[in-house]
This record gives sequence, C-alpha cells and structure tokens, in this order.
Amino acid sequence: MSRLAGLVAVALLALALLPVSGGALSVNEIAKEVRCPTCNTPLDVSDAPVARDMKQYIAVRIEAGWTREQIIDGLVDEFGTGVLATPPKSGFDLVAWIGPLVGVFAGLLVILLLTRAWARRSRAGPGAAAISPEDAALLDEELRRHDR
Amino acid sequence: MDEQSGEEPRWTRRQIVGGSLAGVSVLAVMALLIVGLANQGVGTSISDALEAGERPDAPPIDLPVLYAGDGIGPEGADITLDDLRGRAVVLNFWASWCTPCRDEAPLLEAIAQDYRGRDVVVLGVDTQDLSDNALGFISQLGLTYPSLRDGTDGAQRDYQVTGLPETFILDKQGRIAHHHIGPVTIPEQLTQPLEQIL
Repeated sequence: MSRLAGLVAVALLALALLPVSGGALSVNEIAKEVRCPTCNTPLDVSDAPVARDMKQYIAVRIEAGWTREQIIDGLVDEFGTGVLATPPKSGFDLVAWIGPLVGVFAGLLVILLLTRAWARRSRAGPGAAAISPEDAALLDEELRRHDR
Repeated sequence: MDEQSGEEPRWTRRQIVGGSLAGVSVLAVMALLIVGLANQGVGTSISDALEAGERPDAPPIDLPVLYAGDGIGPEGADITLDDLRGRAVVLNFWASWCTPCRDEAPLLEAIAQDYRGRDVVVLGVDTQDLSDNALGFISQLGLTYPSLRDGTDGAQRDYQVTGLPETFILDKQGRIAHHHIGPVTIPEQLTQPLEQIL
C-alpha cells in the first residue's frame, strides 16, 4: 500500500514538473518571440502603436485557431525574419548561433595551448635550458677539480 | 661567441597558431561591434547633400505594390526606380498607426489628382505596419494614389527616414530634389519644389 502511495506521489511530482504545454496559446507567449519593428524591444514589453496592432493581430489569429508557427510565419511574411526575437537556425542566420560557439572553443583552445606550454616550461625548471655545452664542460672541470 | 645560438626559440609554432587564433577572434568581435554601432544610427548623407544644394541619387527601391494605381501595379508586383524613370515622384513614407500620416493623406490625394497627366506620381511607402491595417487606412481615407509595401524597413533605412511621415521629391532622372520631414500641412510644401523640377 505504502509502495503504491509512493508511486502515485512520484507520478504526481513528475506531472507537476512537466512544462505547461498543449494549453491555450496566449498573446504574450507569442509576443515574446517577436520584436517591435519601431522600438526593437520584445513585443510583449512594447507599447508602441505598431506593437499594439501586432498584439491585436496575434489575438485575432489565436481566436481563429491558428497555431503558434502559423502566427509567427504570418508576422515573418509581414515584416521579414528581422521581426524574430532570435535569429532563425537556418541559412546565413545560422552564423549568429555558431559564431559565438566557435569563438568560445577558439578561446578554450588558446587557453589550453598556453597552459600546456607554461606547465612544460615550469617542469623543466628555471635556467635548465640556458646552460651552453661550453659552460657545462667548464662546470664539470670545476667539479672535478673540487673533488680532488 | 653567438649568444643566440643556444637559446630556445621565443615562440613555438603552437603558440603562434594559438595567438593568431586569439587575435583573429578579438578582431572579429571588434569588427562586429563597430559594424553594429555604425548601423545603429541613421545616416545624414541625403540631408547633407540637399543642404549643399546637390541632388543626390535616390537610393534603389525594390518593393512590392501594396495598392495599385496611376500605372503602378498590379498589386504584389515588384517596383524599382527604373519603373518610375521619366516621372517625378512624390515619395511618402507612412504607416496606418501614424496619426500625422492620417492628417496629411487627404493633401497628398489632392496633389495626386492635381498632377495627374503631368508626369508626376504620388507614391506611398507603407512601413512598420501590418498590410491589412494599411489597406484599411487607404480604403477609409479613399486614397487613389499607389503605395508600396516596405515590410522589412529596408527602404526606410536607405532613405534615412528618422520618423513618420516623411516625403521626398524625386526628379525625372531619379535624383532626390527635396526632402520634407514631418506631416505636409499645406500643399505648397510639396507643390513649390515640384514645380521647380517639372
């Protein structure tokens, strides 16, 4: 019995943690994904006249049963891909997503190379490579003389 | 004795490659920042040229027709400046949500009607607007002159428009002869410079 109660509790917890999806669309939910063309801020926080018109456009289409994708595609048809709050993950716009990652990896690579080079140098000890063969011969000579 | 001969090279190949990568990354980020900052503001080259008494070439236009009229159309067809060559153009940037645009539209309509048959076309450019609302605006005000649709703001940026409405007069050779910032309140604000180029 207690095992069953535990399973039910876990199931309820899992349900509670699931993201809210499949519910009715809200205007703000879509407005967050596009920007206001006059003020360049996300539509949900903009109160510019065109932003109000765009929110109205979204509300009318939600009411008409359009999906999120259909509404966003409609706004892209009106204003171009520049209306999207984040650039699309296709074509040349992909650079905006990949560019920073390449930058981060390049930075990490540089750090790795530098730290390896420094570590190798400090392992070799200070001045270890600075002694010339002539100096080494002189040193050996001195040591031999000292031992005698 | 050559003191350099026994020394290790100052930079290994890896360090040079790594340093170059880091340098290129930093330069790329700086270039992006500079381009971004440069594109933030609106240029003033058109106003500067007009103030100096010049007639700068009008920036190219390639926009679909929102509302056809006066030989500009059909709706949806792309229009370029070449299609307008040989006619003087009163190019008016507007949006349906813009109250001063609504106020000046009847004046532009009157000018369009007065100058029909004189190689002049009044041409609206609807920008930062929803096309249904724009068509509603045209219908409500009974406008008969054509309008293009600038959905991506490209033409607005190219013409260095700082706010709506703004109106340009292009001569028959496709050069900007006059720039009016703000709403047209009396016809002479456009008819006077228009008469000078006809």
